[in-house]
Amino acid sequence: MIRMENVTKVYKGEVLALQNATCEVQRGEFVFLVGPSGSGKSTFMRLLNKEEQPDRGRVFVAGKDIGELPSWKVPFLRRNIGCVFQDFKLLPNKTVIQNVAFALEVIGSPRSVIKSKVPAILELVGLSKKMHNFPDELSGGEQQRVSIARAFVNRPLILLADEPTGNLDPNTSLGIMTLLDRINRTGTTVVMATHDRSIVDKMRRRVVELDRGQIVRDQSRGVYE
Amino acid sequence: MSLKLDYVLRETASNFRRNITLTLATVITVTISLTLLGAALLFGDAVDNATVRWKDGVEFIVFMDPDISAELEADVRRQLEDSPEVSGFAYIDKDEAYAEVQDLLGDSPELVEVITPERLPASFRVKPTDTLPERVDELADAFRAQPGVARVVTASETIRAIEDLSSGLRQRVIIIAIVLLVAAAVLILNTIRMALFSRRRDIEVMKLVGATNWFIRVPFMFEGLVQGLIGGVIAIPLIWLTNNFFSVINDDVSLELLRGFTVDPSRVWTLGFQMVGLGALVGTVGSGIAVTRFLDT
Repeated sequence: MIRMENVTKVYKGEVLALQNATCEVQRGEFVFLVGPSGSGKSTFMRLLNKEEQPDRGRVFVAGKDIGELPSWKVPFLRRNIGCVFQDFKLLPNKTVIQNVAFALEVIGSPRSVIKSKVPAILELVGLSKKMHNFPDELSGGEQQRVSIARAFVNRPLILLADEPTGNLDPNTSLGIMTLLDRINRTGTTVVMATHDRSIVDKMRRRVVELDRGQIVRDQSRGVYE
Repeated sequence: MSLKLDYVLRETASNFRRNITLTLATVITVTISLTLLGAALLFGDAVDNATVRWKDGVEFIVFMDPDISAELEADVRRQLEDSPEVSGFAYIDKDEAYAEVQDLLGDSPELVEVITPERLPASFRVKPTDTLPERVDELADAFRAQPGVARVVTASETIRAIEDLSSGLRQRVIIIAIVLLVAAAVLILNTIRMALFSRRRDIEVMKLVGATNWFIRVPFMFEGLVQGLIGGVIAIPLIWLTNNFFSVINDDVSLELLRGFTVDPSRVWTLGFQMVGLGALVGTVGSGIAVTRFLDT
């Protein structure tokens, strides 16, 4: 599903974000990316949906070298990759249901599809009762559920989560992890960058550790350290 | 991917409300520049119409008696051909004269109706070798004395002065109008940039979930297009007002020299629509540049 071959990424010619990284993720896998801040976790993710270009090496998504993807096709790559962030990135002037529907509207989904898919996904994340609330009326955990609903409503092949529990307390984090686990069980490949030791140790999934841009450990059913 | 019209309209309407003052400033600038440009072009047309007889170095016109015999006319022609002081001349027969009148009086068909080719004089438009006013007058006087000649009209210095003045004036107004039009484009670019900035979170999410650049771009470009269009549409009545001013000049008896200083209404309409088109173009290009620069960074 995802393959990186000898990928090097340098910012502004001096900050080395990734150094000769090679990594392969199979369809349906759940992978934790761990490592200190600035070790290249976010760069790893940004390379996958072509927000950044590698300076050297190649990145494959679903069997295609995305370096050869013309820029007009990048939006279509992104429709197959859902993204979740630490700061949720919800639109404050839209309600929960509007936030999720927006993701389908802007890729041109027919209204009938939006009408059936959005309530279903809100049911899945457990927010059916709050669909007409605005984001600032929700707790952090609920906001993250909305953002996961938005990322998953289009049934992408891959879900990228950049520290999704970074702003949440341990109990709420667990709820989010349960949700991500359920999504993973539908066959969606999940890549999650995190600093959360207890979650990694509890889930016992594949762990890829980065340190100063290099992959220093790749362990199935691994722990944080 | 389908771009839904109601989506574009909704977005444009909400952006208009958000940036109403900036939008107003933009529309006014577009209107003023297009009005100036339209008026300058119209003024040029009017001057052309008033001085069409005096083009290409023609310094005087010999009008023949409408009922003149062919021999007398041939005499005048021979004299023009033989004179060393005449470098060239053009013969305008009754039909050509009629066509010219039709052109000039296109907006008053009732006047054209009462004129027939037979009632119009044929004429010679004469280019002398020496264009010194005194020499031209002497030459004109010589023809005035010829039998069969009804009237000789010389291009007075006034006509020349008007031509010079008008071309200078027209150039300056066109330059000002173009500068203003560029200013309007920059203003539109800025308005759209404000709109983009106030919606940067939405755009970030749109890019993230895979909206195409055109999907993001079109509502903003449409906003620029509408601003340009509104400016152009307001400019049409203002251009009409300048045309009315020309009619006042034309009707003023003391300015008999400027007879023909009018422009056909169909020409005013064409020019108006051209200005609307130009406004739309400026709006679309300005906003297109703004969005493309925003999406590329």
